[in-house]
Amino acid sequence: MNPTYVRIELTRQIRDVGNLMFTIFMPVLMYLLFGNMFGGGGEAAGNGNVKFYIMASMAAYGAAVATTSIAGTAATESLLGWGRQVALTPMKPAGFVMSKVCVALIVAAVSAAAVFALGSATGAKADDWRIWTVSYVVAVLGSSIFALYGMGVGMSFKSETAIGVASGGMVFFAFFGNVFLPLSGTMLDIARFTPMYGYAGLVRWPLLEGAGASADAPTDSIWLLVANLGAWAFLFALLALWAVRGSQARR
Amino acid sequence: MTTVMAIHDFLHFYRRDGPGRLEGMDTSLGTTNQQAASSPPASAAALRLQGVHKSFHTNQGPFEAVAGIDLEVGTGEIIAFLGPNGAGKTTTIDMMLGLTAPTSGTITVFGKSPRAAVEAGEVSAVLQTGGLLRDLTVRETVMAIAALHGARDRVDTVMERTDITSLAKRKVSKCSGGEQQRLKFALALLPNPRLLILDEPTAGMDVAARHAFWETMRQDALEGRTVLFATHYLEEAQDFAERTVLIGRGQVLADGPTSRLRAMTGGRVVSATLPTDKPTAAALTALESLDEVSSVRLKGHRVSVTGPASDDAARLLLGELAATDLEITAPSLDAAFMELTGEKP
Repeated sequence: MNPTYVRIELTRQIRDVGNLMFTIFMPVLMYLLFGNMFGGGGEAAGNGNVKFYIMASMAAYGAAVATTSIAGTAATESLLGWGRQVALTPMKPAGFVMSKVCVALIVAAVSAAAVFALGSATGAKADDWRIWTVSYVVAVLGSSIFALYGMGVGMSFKSETAIGVASGGMVFFAFFGNVFLPLSGTMLDIARFTPMYGYAGLVRWPLLEGAGASADAPTDSIWLLVANLGAWAFLFALLALWAVRGSQARR
Repeated sequence: MTTVMAIHDFLHFYRRDGPGRLEGMDTSLGTTNQQAASSPPASAAALRLQGVHKSFHTNQGPFEAVAGIDLEVGTGEIIAFLGPNGAGKTTTIDMMLGLTAPTSGTITVFGKSPRAAVEAGEVSAVLQTGGLLRDLTVRETVMAIAALHGARDRVDTVMERTDITSLAKRKVSKCSGGEQQRLKFALALLPNPRLLILDEPTAGMDVAARHAFWETMRQDALEGRTVLFATHYLEEAQDFAERTVLIGRGQVLADGPTSRLRAMTGGRVVSATLPTDKPTAAALTALESLDEVSSVRLKGHRVSVTGPASDDAARLLLGELAATDLEITAPSLDAAFMELTGEKP
């Protein structure tokens, strides 16, 4: 991975105002929307209140969408032949992936920070500052697996619409990953195997420690959540590497 | 007809005589080649392809884009890869750069695998389809690729050399085709490669931009780089390459000094209609007896004479032979080339 390359990439992403609206302002708006949908949200939940629960969920969603869409730009780049240009330098496919993931994580960190800042200003509460810190750090770092997802999907589809497909998929994953609304019953059983379930569960772990948001939901063990995240990280990494390798060949 | 003749003449000069040996290819190609010939062959070869095949799977079944190419390029050579679209030029170049692996056969660049040579900065390329990021500025683009090569100290030199310093702050999307091509050339020069591969470097440029581009290239070639460029412009091969490899349907059709190719353009075709009331046989004999006539063909009463001595043929036809409707044309080598490579114009 190369710092200068990452810096230039980052400058590029910051200039793309449209994408920034999508990755930073949308999660903020969604927090405001969902946060007020459930009454005041001031009720206690785990080690904090409901507003913290919604804030952590939306920050996770925002960070994941940010990494998905930023990393998905690798697809557009590859369509423009930039991947081939980079393939003529000593940087290996894994280095290309790492640089993208790094840029995506920086934008994800900003996106999650915006949601957390708004949350703290509008009544999200936790019993300990460490709950805030751990929740934030997990949201940012965990979102890296969706960078791999975005890159993999984007490059496999080989078209400009790939980013839309990848981001659209995120809405689906978020819904089935117990991120937007607390699921129950069969839906929840299915949700345990979807890519955002482990990630969102870990982001909310400091608050809920695996407890379900709905009354009848069983408590998850941390290992189930970690296993979910790890398994999907592995699958997405394979997808991304395979897609990057394929993209260097001419079409 | 004339085009077919031209092809046969051309093939006669260049017909392959066993692997790597060429009939009619002498050792006095130029100083660079003599240098190459004086050093041991193994170390002199900048690029070596042996029995290279590449097949793709398509909806219509397997497609062989490269059907067995053997090629050796000595250090310091400037060589044109001439062929129509779809001849397999870009696929072959991709394999030389390690962007795709051959289905079978081996490729070495300075004795290494293509990828190892790329990582060592020994080979670099201006790719036809290798693109640029439209939302970066020219300088950012150069900086990004320079960082990956660890060649930041060469940024200014290279931008100066390719005449893009004045464009430094411009967005790539605002650059003309020629300017973008110069930028890609700058990127290719960053690692200071010993072998430079250019895939249709002037595609989409107007005449002025094309000349300017080759002017820059000429200066660069003086530094003793080995240059291989693909083109479908005959003129570019003639103006710039010492050696031309003619490629079609994924194979090397001919390989030899470009001067031989240039000699071909000297021939003209004189055609005229012979008078109908006289026997044509005598006229044909008279025409064939002219110096430097390579062929005489008759179709009905229309006779075509090929060769450099077009004036003599014309004089004879209009005078003694009382022919009418005289026409003198320079044979289109492009058309000859199309025939040779099996492409319909």
